[in-house]
Amino acid sequence: MIRALYSAASGMTAQQMNVDNIAHNLANAKTVGFKARRAQFQDLLYQNLVQPGASASAQTVVPSGLQLGLGTRPASNEIVFSQGNFQLTGNPLDLVIQGRGFFQVRLPSGELAYTRAGTFHLDRDGNLVTADGDPLEPQITLPPDAQSITIASDGTVSYTQPGQTAAQLAGQIQLANFPNPAGLNSIGRNLYTPTDASGDPIVGNPGGQEGLGTLLQGYVEESNVSVVEEFINLIIAQRAYEANSRVVRAADEMYQQVNNLTR
Amino acid sequence: MDPLTIAAAGGMRARMEALEMLANNLANAATAGFKLDRESYSLYVAPEALDPALAGWSPAPSLLPVIERHWTDFRQGALKPTGNPTDLAISGPGFFVVEGPRGPLYTRNGAFRLSPAGVLETGEGYAVRAVGGGRIRASGRGPIEISPQGEVRQGGQLLGRLEVLSFSRPEALSKVGHNYFRAADPGLRPAPASGYAIEQGKLESSNVAAAEAAVRLINILRQFEMLSRAAALGGEMNRRAVEELAKVAP
Repeated sequence: MIRALYSAASGMTAQQMNVDNIAHNLANAKTVGFKARRAQFQDLLYQNLVQPGASASAQTVVPSGLQLGLGTRPASNEIVFSQGNFQLTGNPLDLVIQGRGFFQVRLPSGELAYTRAGTFHLDRDGNLVTADGDPLEPQITLPPDAQSITIASDGTVSYTQPGQTAAQLAGQIQLANFPNPAGLNSIGRNLYTPTDASGDPIVGNPGGQEGLGTLLQGYVEESNVSVVEEFINLIIAQRAYEANSRVVRAADEMYQQVNNLTR
Repeated sequence: MDPLTIAAAGGMRARMEALEMLANNLANAATAGFKLDRESYSLYVAPEALDPALAGWSPAPSLLPVIERHWTDFRQGALKPTGNPTDLAISGPGFFVVEGPRGPLYTRNGAFRLSPAGVLETGEGYAVRAVGGGRIRASGRGPIEISPQGEVRQGGQLLGRLEVLSFSRPEALSKVGHNYFRAADPGLRPAPASGYAIEQGKLESSNVAAAEAAVRLINILRQFEMLSRAAALGGEMNRRAVEELAKVAP
C-alpha cells in the first residue's frame, strides 16, 4: 500500500519536472539559437515478491514471478540539437550555422563557451562580439571605416574601405563540434560549456570535412521549440499528473476502509 | 477467524497489490520504452489443504485469492518523433541489447547517445551491442544515419549493425528498472528478431493507456470496498456469536 502511494508520488514529481521543462521550452520559444530540452524518465527498481524461476513445487517452476515496481524517476533532460528555422534580418553580422557546429566565444574568465546564437555586434575596438560583449574566437577585428561586410559560407570575413575597390580579409570564423553535443552544460545566455560527457571540441573551418556546417549571413536561427508539440506535451503531462493523483486518493480511500474495519 | 473474513482479507490484500502495480504503470506513463504490468489471480492453496489427514476438517483450510504472478504487456507503444539522431525506436518485435555491468540487458528505450570516445551507448553508459558482439564506434564527425534494418552509417561508411533480439517467451524476462529487462531464466535463448524496423529520431512511448488505467482503478476500488464490507460482515457475525450465543438465560 505504501508502495502505491510512493509510486504515484514519484509519478507526480516526474510530471511536475516534465511541466517545468515544458515551461522552460515555451518561455524560450522566441530565443534566438535556443535548443529545446526533452525530459526522459526511467522506471525504478522492482521488488521481487515471487522470484521468477523459483520452484513452486518439486516439479514446477514459477514462470514469471511477481514483481512490483516502485515508480519512476526523471533520468535526464537532454538538449535536442535539431536545426531551427531561419529568420531573415538583413543585418550583416547575423549568422546562421547550417549544420551541427557551434560558434566559439571567449568568456571574461578566459574560458571558451559555445553557442548557436549567431547575433553578433561590433564593440568599440571593432571586434566581433556577442550581445553580452564576449568576443568571438578566433578574434575578428574590423577597422572603424569598414563597409559592406561580407561573411562567406566558409566563414571568411571580408570588407571594403572607402575609396578602395578590392576587398580586405579580416579573418575566418571557426566552428566547433562535440562527439556528444547532448552532454553539453547550459550556462544560460545561450551558451554551452563542454563536460566529460560531451567530449573535447573538434574545431574546424565551416564547410570542411568535419560536418560542422556552413554559415549564412543576414539570418538568425530561431529557437527549435515547436509550440504545438510543447502544448501537446503539456496536456499529456497534466493528465498523467491527474491520473497519479487519483491513485494517491484511491490508496488513501482503501487505507481508510481498512482502518474502519476495527470498530 | 472464520473463512469469510479470511477470504475477504486475502482478496483485499490482492487488490492492494493490484493498486501498487497500477500505480507503477501510471507513474511510468511518460517513461520511454516502458511496458505495463498486469496481474493474474489464482487461488492460494494452503499446504494443509493437500494433507489427506486433515480432509473434512472445519474450518476448511484456506483457499485465498492472491496475485500469483504478473505478466508484462509487450504491446507496441506509439512512436514519438524527437529530432535527436541518436534516438532510436523499434517498430515491431525485438529488443536492443546493451552491455550491462553483469551480462547483457535488453531494452526498448532507444534514447542513446555517443560517448566522448564515439561509442553508441545508453544514458547509463552501457555500450549498445552490434551484431557479432562488437560496439558501434563513430568518429564524431558528420551525421549518423541508421537504416530500418539497424545498419549504422557515417558518411556512407558502415560502422556496424545494431543487434535486435527477440525471445520466444518474452514473459520470462524480468524488469530490473531503468527501462532494462533481464533474462531471468538462463535457459531462455534469444534469437535475432525479424519483421522489425528501426526508426531514427523517434522514441517509443510507454504503452500505458491512461483511460484504461482509470477504469481499472475504479474496478479495484469498488472490489476492495465490497471485500471490506464482507470482512466487516464477518466481524459482525463473530461479535454476535460471542455476545448472543454466550447469553445464558437467567
